[in-house]
Amino acid sequence: MIRFSSLTKRYGPLTAVRELSLEVRPGEVYALLGPNGAGKTTALRCLATLLHPSAGTASVAGVDVTADPVGARRNLAFLAASMGLYERLSARELITYFGRLHGMDEARLSGRVDDLVDLFGIRGFADRLCGRLSTGQRQRVSLARALVHDPPALILDEPTLGLDILSGRTIYDFIARERAAGKAILFSTHQMEEVDLLADRVGVLGGGVLVAEGTAEQLMQRTGAPNLARAFLALVAGAADR
Amino acid sequence: MSAWRVVAAKELRETLRDRRTLLMMVVIPVLLYPVLLIVMEQLLLFGQRNLEAEPAPVAVVGQSAPALIEILEREDGLRLVEIGEDPEAAVRADSVGAVALLGEAEPGDGTRPVTLLYDAASDRSNRARGELTAALRAWGDSALGDRLDARGLPRTFAEPVAIADSSIARPDEVGGYALGRILPLLLVVITLLGAFYPAIDLAAGEKERGTLETLLTAPVPPRAVVAGKFVTVALIGVIAAGLNLGSMILTFQTGALQLTAAIGLEVSLPWSAVLAIFVTLVPLAVLFGAVFLGIAVGASSFKEAQNALTPVYMVVLVPAMLPAFPGIDFGPGLALTPVAGVAFFFRDLMTGEADAALGALVLVSTTLYALAALAFAARAFGNERVLFGGGEAEVDARAVGPLAWLRARRGALGVPSSSAVLLFVSFVAVAFFWVGIRLQVSLGESGLLAAEWLLLLTPAVAFVVFGGFDPVRTLSLRRPTRTGVAGGMILIAGAMPLVWVLGWLQTFVLPVPWEMLEGLEQLVTADSAGRLAWLLLLLAVTPALCEEAVFRGVLLGGTGEAEPWRRVVLNGVVFGLFHLSFETVIRFLPTATLGMVIAWAVLRTGSIWVGVLMHFLNNGAIVVLASTPGVREYFSDPEAPPPLWLVPVAAVLVWAGARVLQRPAAAAGADTSNSSHDP
Repeated sequence: MIRFSSLTKRYGPLTAVRELSLEVRPGEVYALLGPNGAGKTTALRCLATLLHPSAGTASVAGVDVTADPVGARRNLAFLAASMGLYERLSARELITYFGRLHGMDEARLSGRVDDLVDLFGIRGFADRLCGRLSTGQRQRVSLARALVHDPPALILDEPTLGLDILSGRTIYDFIARERAAGKAILFSTHQMEEVDLLADRVGVLGGGVLVAEGTAEQLMQRTGAPNLARAFLALVAGAADR
Repeated sequence: MSAWRVVAAKELRETLRDRRTLLMMVVIPVLLYPVLLIVMEQLLLFGQRNLEAEPAPVAVVGQSAPALIEILEREDGLRLVEIGEDPEAAVRADSVGAVALLGEAEPGDGTRPVTLLYDAASDRSNRARGELTAALRAWGDSALGDRLDARGLPRTFAEPVAIADSSIARPDEVGGYALGRILPLLLVVITLLGAFYPAIDLAAGEKERGTLETLLTAPVPPRAVVAGKFVTVALIGVIAAGLNLGSMILTFQTGALQLTAAIGLEVSLPWSAVLAIFVTLVPLAVLFGAVFLGIAVGASSFKEAQNALTPVYMVVLVPAMLPAFPGIDFGPGLALTPVAGVAFFFRDLMTGEADAALGALVLVSTTLYALAALAFAARAFGNERVLFGGGEAEVDARAVGPLAWLRARRGALGVPSSSAVLLFVSFVAVAFFWVGIRLQVSLGESGLLAAEWLLLLTPAVAFVVFGGFDPVRTLSLRRPTRTGVAGGMILIAGAMPLVWVLGWLQTFVLPVPWEMLEGLEQLVTADSAGRLAWLLLLLAVTPALCEEAVFRGVLLGGTGEAEPWRRVVLNGVVFGLFHLSFETVIRFLPTATLGMVIAWAVLRTGSIWVGVLMHFLNNGAIVVLASTPGVREYFSDPEAPPPLWLVPVAAVLVWAGARVLQRPAAAAGADTSNSSHDP
């Protein structure tokens, strides 16, 4: 569903991501770990067609992100920590706006917006401007926005950054539900407990290179670490030594 | 609904919910400017009445003049006061407004000298001076009349010519003339302000809030996003300008301004002129909207975009202010100048002297500029570097400290990145401007020498050494081939006269700074062999080494990622800007052209020494020619046309030099793109 094939991204003299290859299957949650500047956001942005790979490629639902970026975007939802909400649009207006951008016809869109408003418990504040919503409410609106076109692949860039436990819980529930619906989910994070809780597989990026990949147990076995956090530190330190 | 319409509808809805935009779009144009005008006029009238409410205190000192005293006592606007022995102290103390110091009358029918003592920095004193001058004139006229009467001559004897003004302009034409001085600037500024904040909000604001990423992952091409945003920004600019136009015309035409009514000004702009102004405002708003969007999208925050756009705002004000200056005729050259053409066309529409052909030229050229700006904005929105930066987060996360930051910007070939190089050149330019000029002011020619070596060459060498860059690749320190040297010499021999012609052509559109040129001529002219040697060291050898190290060295070496023609143009423009000052605008184009020619030669040959030689030959030739009597006169007048035969000769030399440099043998064993053939 989601595939990176030897993807490299360079910024002038700096190689932010080097020869990245990985795959996320339908119904799988893949966590991308790495220290700041490891290239996680760059990799996710290449997949979301925001950045153009310098070499190699990536695809979403079989659509090459370089050859057909607009086609790839139809099959994905991108959710960043900033949530991406327009302060002067109401929650309903915002979800409708993105539905229109995805080319949905008005009758179908109206029904879909109502469904999402109910699914995420937005009805009570659906007509309030996003700028006046609480963080938890904003989080729910951004999730509804991402799902308006019901894409098969979800890309989440540090989705719980700056959220409290309750708001984070909404994200966990959302990821679990979408995995059950057969969607491929790729997310980046610094939170090891999130990875333990949600990820089927984990990839560790260090200096732009995928230094390790596998289940959390496999990574711990490989490094001999008692938990994922220590395994992560050992892998990243190893990457830095190289 | 097509994607751009969806974007535009959303942007418009959101923008109209923004108080700041509404303030700029409606409140300021409709209310603030007319109210400000009325308030200012009222304050002016109030001050004037206040000044005239009481008679101005004046005094007379010196030889007695009963006739003058009698006149002064009769005048209602004056009050004669007694002052002490120090008239200047009395004026300073404001106990008297103006003092007439009467000198001793010459014997017979001679002249009596009168000195008026007043304080030019005081409104009350200025007014007293005016009143006292009128009284003194009356006294002089009376004395003259007495003299004529004594000789039996008619009063007309002393007035052989009587002059009376009679303007053929109707009051509405005078009104249009006055309006044409202020309104064009206001209209341009309001259009600009109308587009200013929406452009920042829709581009940088969207980036800052993190919504741009989300928007660009929707299945919509970037051109639809930019079209939707741009339509919103331009529409708001047009609405703001239209509302301002209507509001200003109503303010003037309804007689809301007492001053204009009092002095007999009539403001009645025909509807056809109003319509023409409005139609011209549309491409202007489009131009501003597109330029602002294209620039603002490169900023990462609202504040950063404000900082980036403020200089643009200032630059736009200059051409918009031109119609307020007297003596500038509106012609095709100005019609083709962005913003200035629009402002002058507005002025002529208001004065009723608009030329339809010039108006069409303004409309067409502004539309073309607007389309070019739109292409620029669309390109910016499609450029990931502009939208999401050049990976600075990754670079900064992997490098701590300034040296580490610099070294992290070292490419695989050991040359600095363009961001590091541009930062370095900016630093050098700022240092040279502030410190270099002080050195020159305090030490004269030695200061110039010190500035070049200490503020250009030394930082360039330090940048390469401490940045850990490859000096050969970064500074193109390769030994040139004979072909390369010959090609460079031929090319510069042809380029110099062509640049001279270019400078001469400029004098038709740009004012010639004669005082600056005279100073420059004195600087480059030697009157002895010793002086000539010193000038060659100061003005030819030194810049050839120091400036080349910065421009054809670091700058050219660090922009290797760009296409060669872009590197050459950027190099010339930066070189031209470096030589720019308020008095030397006229030097920009010739210097930038020379910079491009030398940059191309260095790029072709791969050797900075070719650039050094060309720079030396150019500057050295100027010094030698300026110091040669008989030849100097040819070059001293920039408005004098160069000999026509020089143009074909120079063109042939440029062509021949370029041909030689294009030969493989011209390359110093190195490539032109930092990728192969290195020694």
